[in-house]
Amino acid sequence: MSASSFAEGKATIASEYSSEVRREPIEHQFNPYSDNGGTILGIAGKDFAVLAGDTRHTTGYSINSRYEPKVFDAGDGFLISANGFSADGNALVKRFQNQLKWYHFNHGKKMGIRSGARFIQHLLYGKRFFPYYVHTIIAGLDEEGKGAVFSFDPIGSYEREQCRAGGSAASLIMPFLDNQVNFKNQLDPESNGTKKKELRYLSLEEVLKLVKDSFSSATERHILVGDGLEIMIVTKEGVRTEYYPLKKD
Amino acid sequence: MVGLSFDNYQRNQYLAAKGVGVPKATSTGTTIVGCKFNGGVIIAADTRATAGPIVADKNCEKLHRLSPTIWCAGAGTAADTEMVTQLISSNLELHSMSANRSPRVVTALTMLKQHLYKYQGHIGAYLIVAGIDPTGAHLFSIHAHGSTDVGFYQSLGSGSLAAMAVLESNWRDGLTKEEAIKLCSDAIEAGIWNDLGSGSNVDVCVMEIGKDAQLYRNYLTPNTRAQKSKSYKFPRGSTAILKEDIYKLVDVEEEVVNLDTMQVDA
Amino acid sequence: MFLTRSEYDRGVSTFSPEGRLFQVEYSSEAIKLGSTAIGIATSEGVVLGVEKKVTSSLLESSSIEKIVEIDTHIGCAMSGLTPDARSMIDHARVSSLNHNLYYDEKIGVESLTQSVCDLALRFGEGASGEKRLMSRPFGVALLIAGIDEENGPQLYHAEPSGTFYRYDAKAIGSGSEGAQSELQNEYHSSLTLKEAELLILKVLKQVMEEKLDSNNAQLASVTKEHGFRIYKDEETAKIIEQLAENEADEPES
Repeated sequence: MSASSFAEGKATIASEYSSEVRREPIEHQFNPYSDNGGTILGIAGKDFAVLAGDTRHTTGYSINSRYEPKVFDAGDGFLISANGFSADGNALVKRFQNQLKWYHFNHGKKMGIRSGARFIQHLLYGKRFFPYYVHTIIAGLDEEGKGAVFSFDPIGSYEREQCRAGGSAASLIMPFLDNQVNFKNQLDPESNGTKKKELRYLSLEEVLKLVKDSFSSATERHILVGDGLEIMIVTKEGVRTEYYPLKKD
Repeated sequence: MVGLSFDNYQRNQYLAAKGVGVPKATSTGTTIVGCKFNGGVIIAADTRATAGPIVADKNCEKLHRLSPTIWCAGAGTAADTEMVTQLISSNLELHSMSANRSPRVVTALTMLKQHLYKYQGHIGAYLIVAGIDPTGAHLFSIHAHGSTDVGFYQSLGSGSLAAMAVLESNWRDGLTKEEAIKLCSDAIEAGIWNDLGSGSNVDVCVMEIGKDAQLYRNYLTPNTRAQKSKSYKFPRGSTAILKEDIYKLVDVEEEVVNLDTMQVDA
Repeated sequence: MFLTRSEYDRGVSTFSPEGRLFQVEYSSEAIKLGSTAIGIATSEGVVLGVEKKVTSSLLESSSIEKIVEIDTHIGCAMSGLTPDARSMIDHARVSSLNHNLYYDEKIGVESLTQSVCDLALRFGEGASGEKRLMSRPFGVALLIAGIDEENGPQLYHAEPSGTFYRYDAKAIGSGSEGAQSELQNEYHSSLTLKEAELLILKVLKQVMEEKLDSNNAQLASVTKEHGFRIYKDEETAKIIEQLAENEADEPES
């Protein structure tokens, strides 16, 4: 049925099963996205970086899985997680891992974290008008061995940061991180309210405590977060994974 | 006639074209159940209240008292379940005083459904009404549009499917009180674990013939918060004192009273 | 000649019964007609030197371009049908720039060389349906000099056949035979950049028909400090002077 026939005021029969008569075009919508919940968190330290995510996978009010990892060791000391619509997230991670192999074939060397970040920008921007519905965070060590975290918006804008939370409970965790990692709104108690609390690198033990408390607290107040917490830690020794249970309600 | 009826299809199509759309079912997160047993009836609920994906209250009360022996579990819009329950509770008491009889469950049911029907579903209250009256133990459910159901067991809310799965597989005729409590709390737990809209604790209310209704607030607490790994106490001075004013709001006068000399009336 | 080579040198992608691709082999001959180009890799950097054949006294020698920049850290010298190098260099520049765009880092010298050589076989259709880009193989060879984070200073020789090799020192072009054997004798791994400059000019001088001067020779280098850099004529002239002094000090045995 052509568009012009509507203009001419001709009727449309919707289907052979009814005598339904409409005077307007029937609209169909393709809805390719969904939200699978979950939250992720990356923190960079002096000589380490962590990337953590909960393991709950949901659609609507249902839990699809209580253990569906979404933080991956992509190789070359890269931790990557693309949180949001998990089909897109998995596609992005797989594409990155595939391209990382090609990089090894073509250039015969380890990919640096900066190069990885720039490359992911192009993977994301390549779908500028049909974006991957994800908030992406990568973590690793930079060329000097310092911890590095890069975060991306769905279409590839990126930035190196000390810490970043992404996904459903990002807005719950991020202000906590601002205060506890970058000491925002904290003054030096000795200065009588004149000096900001001085920045310092947090130890791995301190960071792990913040990560665990971030997730257990997000689980308390966000229904899409819970079940399990998987933390990946990258140091010059390599990548290590830790798992902690979260509340399952 | 067997099968689906399409009698109203064309009429509804006509109404849709006129702007009278098909009413859409909404359900906000909750699991509530009710179940009869030998000698009474019980209802149970979870304690999570949500605002979108955010947990608004971790331990709210969804079990409301309509009369000392008639209780009601509410799902849907929190304010609506609260208000409609208080209103009907009030009217039920006035009614029982004027009739000089203890209130009946069907009376509460009728008042609720007539009120909800009047508001054509705009009052988003989904209720399980249960209680004891001179005619025995009763269990009903009401939907926001005013329809009601009778049954030996009921479940409502976003966790109703999870709960009903438990009720359907484990309910039988002639349950004891203890068995019924276990069945209802199991059903609520199914909602707590498997429905994201439900969570935290289980509240139970037992209404037994010949006894006062008993509310077991937080009958189960399977979701206590584990200790945090770090203390977040800020050292004194972390926040600057910008201004300091001390107001003298009252004058304090001190007087020593000798108790021995006081006269005390017997 | 026609009898021995028969008809198998007509199609660019036709093997002879002995398994040879004559057109590709002929392209290597074209390079032997080109002016001499020399490259030496040292631990301090890579030096490139070319002979510029100034065929007329009316010719502006600065318009002869045989050493070009590919990126800040890579340059190349050419010998053979120099116009053919245009598309190779364009391709190399695009590859280098794209790598920087996609990976926020400088492209490796070997990767860059590989990408240029990928182009060399595009006189036929590609295996995955790529279009045939050229009617014949390139008639030019490149000496690609560069420096990267992983492997330091490097020198590559890229042939029209699409093969490439890494060299410590390499000469191509008409004087390459004599020049290469001279490099063989003179090269050692502890050569400094300065010594390499002098060695290149010394070898060029030996194989050139004309008298070496800053008009008919050009130098360039790639170092960690300055990246790729073509030497100014005055600079080259100074090194030629130095060379003359050295030779005066120790007359050849």
